Amino acid sequence: MKMNPNEILSLDSLKIGYVSGKNKNILLPPLTASAKRGELIAVIGRNGIGKSTLLRTLTGLQQPLGGEIFYSGKNIREYSKMELAQKAGYISTEIIKVSNMSVYDLVALGRFPHTNWIGKIEKKDHEVILDALAKTSMTSFRRKFVSELSDGERQKTMIARILAQDTGIMIMDEPTAFLDVAGKYEIFHLLHTLSNNGDKTIVFSTHDLQMAISQSDKIWLILDNKLIEGAPEDLMISGAFDHLFDSSNVMFNSEDGTFSFRSETKGSIYIEGNGNKRHWTEKAINRAGFAVSKEKTLPCIIIPSDNTKSWQLSTQSSIQEFFSIYELISSLSEKV
Amino acid sequence: MQKEFSSDLKSRRNTRLIFSSLVLLVAIFLILDIFFGSVSIKASDVIKAIFTNADNNFEIIILKFRLPKAITALTVGVALSLSGLQMQTVFRNPMAGPYVLGISSGASLGVAFVILGFSSNITTVSLNGLGNWILVAASWIGAGAVMLLIMVISSKVKDIMTILILGIMLSSGISAIVTIMQYFSNETLLKAYVIWTMGSLGNLTASQLNVLLISVLAGVIMSLFSSKMLNALLLGENYASSIGLNVRIARAVIFTCTSILAGSVTAFCGPIGFIGIAVPHIVRILFKTSDHKILIPGTILMGGAVMLISDIISQLPGSESVLPVNAVTSLIGIPVVIWVILRNRKYSGPF
Repeated sequence: MKMNPNEILSLDSLKIGYVSGKNKNILLPPLTASAKRGELIAVIGRNGIGKSTLLRTLTGLQQPLGGEIFYSGKNIREYSKMELAQKAGYISTEIIKVSNMSVYDLVALGRFPHTNWIGKIEKKDHEVILDALAKTSMTSFRRKFVSELSDGERQKTMIARILAQDTGIMIMDEPTAFLDVAGKYEIFHLLHTLSNNGDKTIVFSTHDLQMAISQSDKIWLILDNKLIEGAPEDLMISGAFDHLFDSSNVMFNSEDGTFSFRSETKGSIYIEGNGNKRHWTEKAINRAGFAVSKEKTLPCIIIPSDNTKSWQLSTQSSIQEFFSIYELISSLSEKV
Repeated sequence: MQKEFSSDLKSRRNTRLIFSSLVLLVAIFLILDIFFGSVSIKASDVIKAIFTNADNNFEIIILKFRLPKAITALTVGVALSLSGLQMQTVFRNPMAGPYVLGISSGASLGVAFVILGFSSNITTVSLNGLGNWILVAASWIGAGAVMLLIMVISSKVKDIMTILILGIMLSSGISAIVTIMQYFSNETLLKAYVIWTMGSLGNLTASQLNVLLISVLAGVIMSLFSSKMLNALLLGENYASSIGLNVRIARAVIFTCTSILAGSVTAFCGPIGFIGIAVPHIVRILFKTSDHKILIPGTILMGGAVMLISDIISQLPGSESVLPVNAVTSLIGIPVVIWVILRNRKYSGPF
């Protein structure tokens, strides 16, 4: 097998799944994919398709049921546990609940494969730990107990822990699952920085398609019958995401990478005006179940400009004024 | 930043201070334990008995009875507390301990097999030399078997309280088996066994104390080697494995160690409750850490201190009567256990 020297991880016809008794329960068709140094890779697929199993198999927590995994060109089966722990670090969705464990101590556990028999933290280890804390901006928290942290802070601590583990590859199972929107942005930003500036290869699963598309270098899209890999934009163009959601209620717009609810249109409305207010008025109209007409017809909404503070809704029978989108939409809904 | 690092330094100084105080405490309690007993002996006579060859009754009491008993108390405290600490981490369960999970019962079943089952002409006197080792090995095997059973159960059942209840069931089941064995054994053996179950720190022969000391020393050395594994296991199996720990080997080492520690004590002193579960919690609160490099030595010292003070209290200094040491350890341990249960409802974490 020819190896690209930058190719730090590759999957060759990998079969993943569970062994129960004598039966092998293989979840997916053989998977082939690769990751280069410094890439941020999002693993995307519907719930229960086997993303977690794939990540666990990559970390060595589960045996492959066929096919191969190569780390820097060497088969995962040839690595000892300690060697593998210096290649790939792992964060699962499991929340660590230990009281009396400080942030520093948790991050220090990342040094496990590097320390001596008793786990003594040498000066060098200490420096690596402080560096990991600094990179995740957790330095000021290091004397706090892990049990006192918020979800976002705890996740950053876990990331600091794999940084301290000093592995080229970081594998994370839904690192943003429990976080609020601000927390999600922060973690995505951190992952992006660590991969693009810090030379780490990060493979993470997520359900946040929009964020994944805008931030990752590559996407491993797991569908029922195959794995498709490529830059998010390539997958957008090829329409690969369209197969992801077989729900008739959700629509993925390949133009801007957003989702919308499919609903029957109650009619179309023309909107006159530009800018921010137009954008949000359109959104509201869509939500209420109307399409935006491209031709100047009635009914028509004139959005507020510098002179007027109100939305004007003109229909064939009347012209009404509204001082908020809320009022406007309420009135529209009543009319239909 | 400057302030932050000075606070690091302060906490390290604190840890050192607590360690030195604990060492001092153990030393003081050890001395007090020798000074107090049902026969009141003047301090000057105690010192004379230890350092000179006075060859009187006092010397016999001090050297043949009180000193071995104090050493036994220290050893028992160290062993039970350490095994409790290891079990709490491996099972990720704050309620784990040799007594509550039925490990001590398992050990007593082993002992019952030796005393009641196999040899028909065994007496406490013939339980010397090799006999002691057979007794202690049976105890290890009994303890180990229950540990494995609990491990299998806790891989299927995650709920801490359920495991606790199953542990109590297990203890009751084992007691039932022992009762049946007692029913079918003759009077002499029965008496030997019943005396054993009463549990005492003061009934050990010199050769039994030797066996206990060697076993516990082996356990302590093993536990020092296990501190890194224990730290990793705090994160749970998956994370421990992902940072490079061979979970199976780690479990085997820690189980062996725990079985030796809890089994040896139970073999010679009978089941002693609540030290194993309570002491690790006291140490965690005291040192405010989860790092076993600190918790293990801390538990060794605190375990010794608590058992020594229990023994001193059981002497009822100033009176001639003696309480069963088991009652004292329960009275010290149970409030800690209750506190942990109540606190756990709030935090819902394993420790």
